[in-house]
Amino acid sequence: MSAAVLPTSSGGGRELSNPPSDGISNLRFSNHSDHLLVSSWDKTVRLYDASANVLKGEFMHGGPVLDCCFHDDFSGFSASADNTVRRFVFGTGKEDILGRHEAPVRCVEYSYAAGQVITGSWDKTLKCWDPRGASGPDRTLVGTYPQPERVYSLSLVGHRLVVATAGRHVNVYDLRNMSQPEQRRESSLKYQTRCVRCYPNGTGFALSSVEGRVAMEFFDLSEAGQSKKYAFKCHRKSEAGKDTVYPVNAIAFHPIYGTFATGGCDGYVNVWDGNNKKRLYQYSKYPTSIAALSFSRDGRLLAVASSYTFEEGDTPHEPDAIFVRNVNEVEVKPKPKALPAPPP
Amino acid sequence: MANLVSDQLLQMETTCGSLLYELQMIWDEVGESDTERDKLLLELEQECLEVYRRKVDQANRCRAQLRQAIADAEAELAAICSAMGERPVHIRQSNQKAGSLKEELKEIIPQLEEMRKRKNDRWNQFLEVIEQIRRISIEIRPAEYTPSKVAMDESDLSTRRLEELHRQLQSLQKEKTERLKQVMDHLNTLNSLCLVLGIDFRQTVHEVHPSLDETDGSKNISNDTIESLASAIQRLREVKIQRMQKLQDLASTMLELWNLMDTPVEEQQLFQNVTCNIAASEHEITEPNTLSMDFINYVEAEVLRLEQLKTSKMKELVLKKKMELEELRRRTHLVAQAGNETEFAIKAIEAGAIDASLMLEQIEILVSKVKEEAFSRKDILEKVEKWLAACNEESWLEEYNRDENRYSAVRGAHLTLKRAEKARALVNKIPAMVDALAAKITAWENDRGIEFTYDGVRLLSMLEEYTIVRQEKEQERKRQRDQKRLQGQLIAEQEALFGSKPSPSKPQSAKKVARTSTSGSSRRQSLGGAIMHPSKPDLLHPKSTRSTKKGDDIAALSPGRRGLDIAGLPVKKLSFNNTMNAPCEVEMPRRPFAPLVPVNSIPSTPSQPNIMSTPSILLTPSQPKNNDVEEENRTPKIMPISTPKTPGTVPASMQMATTPAPTSIVYEAAVAKAPLEEIEYSFEERRLASYLKRSRVL
Repeated sequence: MSAAVLPTSSGGGRELSNPPSDGISNLRFSNHSDHLLVSSWDKTVRLYDASANVLKGEFMHGGPVLDCCFHDDFSGFSASADNTVRRFVFGTGKEDILGRHEAPVRCVEYSYAAGQVITGSWDKTLKCWDPRGASGPDRTLVGTYPQPERVYSLSLVGHRLVVATAGRHVNVYDLRNMSQPEQRRESSLKYQTRCVRCYPNGTGFALSSVEGRVAMEFFDLSEAGQSKKYAFKCHRKSEAGKDTVYPVNAIAFHPIYGTFATGGCDGYVNVWDGNNKKRLYQYSKYPTSIAALSFSRDGRLLAVASSYTFEEGDTPHEPDAIFVRNVNEVEVKPKPKALPAPPP
Repeated sequence: MANLVSDQLLQMETTCGSLLYELQMIWDEVGESDTERDKLLLELEQECLEVYRRKVDQANRCRAQLRQAIADAEAELAAICSAMGERPVHIRQSNQKAGSLKEELKEIIPQLEEMRKRKNDRWNQFLEVIEQIRRISIEIRPAEYTPSKVAMDESDLSTRRLEELHRQLQSLQKEKTERLKQVMDHLNTLNSLCLVLGIDFRQTVHEVHPSLDETDGSKNISNDTIESLASAIQRLREVKIQRMQKLQDLASTMLELWNLMDTPVEEQQLFQNVTCNIAASEHEITEPNTLSMDFINYVEAEVLRLEQLKTSKMKELVLKKKMELEELRRRTHLVAQAGNETEFAIKAIEAGAIDASLMLEQIEILVSKVKEEAFSRKDILEKVEKWLAACNEESWLEEYNRDENRYSAVRGAHLTLKRAEKARALVNKIPAMVDALAAKITAWENDRGIEFTYDGVRLLSMLEEYTIVRQEKEQERKRQRDQKRLQGQLIAEQEALFGSKPSPSKPQSAKKVARTSTSGSSRRQSLGGAIMHPSKPDLLHPKSTRSTKKGDDIAALSPGRRGLDIAGLPVKKLSFNNTMNAPCEVEMPRRPFAPLVPVNSIPSTPSQPNIMSTPSILLTPSQPKNNDVEEENRTPKIMPISTPKTPGTVPASMQMATTPAPTSIVYEAAVAKAPLEEIEYSFEERRLASYLKRSRVL
C-alpha cells in the first residue's frame, strides 16, 4: 500500500497523510475554514488542515467513534460506541463528556439555529444537549425523545431535523417543538436506510439505502409537493447484463449549487443534479467503499473517505484513506436543460 | 262709369265754353283788343296742351312699367321652368294678347308663385339627398370626401338631376351595406380564428378599430378599417398555419412514438383531438383552442415526455440487443474484435452523444453478421462439440484408469464400468474425428481466407496442440510400457537372484500423475478448460455433477439452493466449464486488459457475491474458506492458473445477479433471515459486535 500513498495521486485527489488506522466513520469540513474533522473506529477523532495536509490534533476515546461534528473552529463534538457524547477543545486538547446514552451513540449534529447538540443512539432515543450548560448530565441534557427504532442517521437544515432509524422509519422534527415529530414517515425505499441528508434550500431531504438507491423527498405534504418526490438507482455494476448492487453510504450536498455527491460500496463517487435528474460526474474508482463525503464551506474541496464499511463482515480490505480533491465547477454545476425544439 | 266720365267731360266742355263765353263777356266789357284776346287765347291753348302732354307721358310710363313687370315675371317663370326642366305653360298667352296688360300681369303672378313654391320644394329635396350622400361618403371614405364636389348647383334642379342624385345615393347605400357585410364577414372570420388560436377576440378587434368591438354601435367601415381587418385576418391565418404545421408535426411525431412504443389506447385517447387533425387542411381546423399556445405547449410537453420515454426504451433495447449479440457470440464461441465498443457506446447514449437508433442499427448489423458467421460455422461447431465431449470422456477415462480401486465393488460401480467401456470406444474414434475436423476447418479457412477461431483461439492450433499432447501421452505410455517391461526383466532377474517380487514403485506413479496434470493444464490454455476438470471432485460426486448439469440454470437461479450447495461448488464450476464455458473463455483473451484481476483477486472479486448475500453472514466466511479448500485440493502446479480461476467466480456471482436480482436476494434474505436473526442490523452494528468479540478475545 505504501506505494499508493503518494501525496499527489492525481486520480482520487490529494491523500491526507496520517490517516486513521481503522475504519473511518465520518468526516466533516468546518463551516469557517478548510479544517477537516474525522472520526474513526480506531477510537480517535482527528483534526486535519485539509489544504495544508497537516494533522492538527487527535483525541482518544473509550471506544470506536461513530460520528463527529464541529461546534465552531475551536471545538467539536463526537458520538462514541462507548455510549458517551463528548466535547473537545482543539486549542487546549481538553475534552469532557457532555452526557451518555444507554447504547452506542450513532450520530451527532450541532444546530446553529438552536444552539444545541443533537445525538441519535442505538438505544432508540434522540437527546438534545445544551453545550453551554455546566458539565454534568443533569445540566446539559435538554431532553430525551424516544424513537421507534435505533437511530441510523440524522440531518439538520434550519430548524428542521430529519431522523432515519432502523425499520425504515423517518421522523421529521421542528427543533422548536421537540415534543413530538412534525411528520412520521416511512422511507420510500424498500431496504435499510444508510444515510439521510437535507437539501441546503430546506425543502426536503435525500435518503439512501443499502440497495443502491437514493430517494429524493420533500417536506411539503401537499399533493403537489409530494408529487415531486422520486427515487433513482445508483452504485450498481452492470456486467454482461448482470447487475451488482452496492449500498449507498454517503450523501453530501454542494453548499452553493445544491447538487450532491453520493458514495457507495463500489468505491465510486457520483455527482448528481437532483432538479434535472441528471448525473453530472463520476470520479474514478477509489480503492474501497466510500464511507463518508463532505464538501468544504465554499464547495471547492471534496473530502472522500475511502474506507471499508464492513458490508461483507470481517474480511481483509484495502487500508483506510482520506482523499481531498479540488472540485471543478463543471463537475458540480447544474447544466440547464436542453430544449429539443426552439419555440416559434 | 264711362258715362260718368263722359258726363264729366261733357260738363268740362260746357264749363270750358261757358268760361270762354264769360271771358268774352269780360273782354267785351273791358274792351280788350283783339290781339290781346288772341294772345291770351293762345296762352290758354298752350297751357292746356302742356297739361295733356304731361298726362300722356305719365300714362305711357305706367304702361311701360306694367310691361316690364310682366316681362320680369315671365322671365322668372321661364327661368324656374327651365331650372326645373319643365315646359313653360303660359308663353302662348302672351302671344295671343288676350287681355290688357294688367290682366296679363294678374294672370301671371299666381303662376309664378306656384312655380316658386315648387322650386323651393325641389330644392329641399335636393338638399336632403345631398346631405345623405355627404354623410355616407364621409362614412365610406372620409379622406376622399370633398364638399365642393357635392356643392349645390341651383341652376339645375331638374327631376333628372334629382333622380341622378338618388341613384348616386342608392349606389352609395348599397356600397355601405356591402362594406358592412364585408366587415361583419371579416369579424366573423377573425372571431373563428381567434377562437381556434385561443386569442382574445375583442382585444384583437379593438386594436384594429375601437368601434368594431361595440356590439350595438355603428361600425367603422372605411377602407382603412377593412384593409387592417383583412391584414389582421391574414396575419392570424399565417399564425394559424404555422401553428397547425407545428401541431401536425407534433402529432405525427406522437403517432410515430405511439406506434413505436405501443402506447395504450387510453393514453392515446387523451390526444385524439390532436391526431385527428394530422391531415386536416387549414380551414378544417375550427374547434376552439385547438391551436392555442397553451394547447400546443401541452402537446409539446407530451411529445417531450414520449421522447424521453423512447430514449430510455431505446437504451433498454440497445442493452437487450447487446445482450442478444453477446449471447449469440457466446453460443458460437466467437469473440468480439473490440470488446468494449458497445459498452462504451451505452455510456455515450446516456450522455446523449450518440443516437440510440444509430447504435441499434450498428448492433443489428453486428448481430446479422454474427448470425451469418454462426451459420457458416454451425457445421464445424457441432463437430467441435462432439470432439470436446469425446475429450472430456477421454480425460475422465484417464483419471479412471489411474484409480487403483476402480474394480472394487462399490455401489454404482457397474455404471462407471459401463461408462468406461463406452468412453474407450469413443476415445478410439478421436483421431479420426480430429482429422475430419481439421480437414473441414482447413476447407473453411481456405474458403474464407480467415482463421477459424473458437473463443478467440484458432481452432486448428487447438487441434494441433491436442494431437501433440496426445502423441506425447502416447509416447509416455509407450515409454512406461517399455520401462515396465524393463522393470519386469529386472524383477525377473532379481527374482532369479533373490527370489522376491517387489511391488511397482510409488514414486513412479506420482510422477505419472504430475505428468498428466501438466498436460491437462497446457491443454486448458488452448481448449479453454474444456477438458481440464480436476477429476477428483468428479469422482467424489459423480451424481451431483450430473444433477447440477441437468438443472444448471435452475441451480444458478436460486440463491437458496446455491447456499445449500456450497459443498458442491467446485462441482458446479465443472458443469459451468462444460456447458457454460463461455464466460471463462471471454475472460481469457481479455486477461492482458485486466491487470487488476490478479492484483486484488482475493479481496475484491469475491466481494460481489458477498454483498449480495450480506444478511446471511453464514455464507460470507464460508466462501473464502471454500476457495482455500479448492486451492489445497490442487497440486501446486495449478497455482499459477488460479488467477484466471478467480475471475471464474465472477460469472458465478453474475449468475446470482441474474436472479430477479440483488433486490430479491436481499428481499429473500430479509424473509429468510427470520429464523437466522430477528432484527436487521446496520454494518456498523455488526462491526461493533465483531469489534467487541475481537477485543474480548484479545
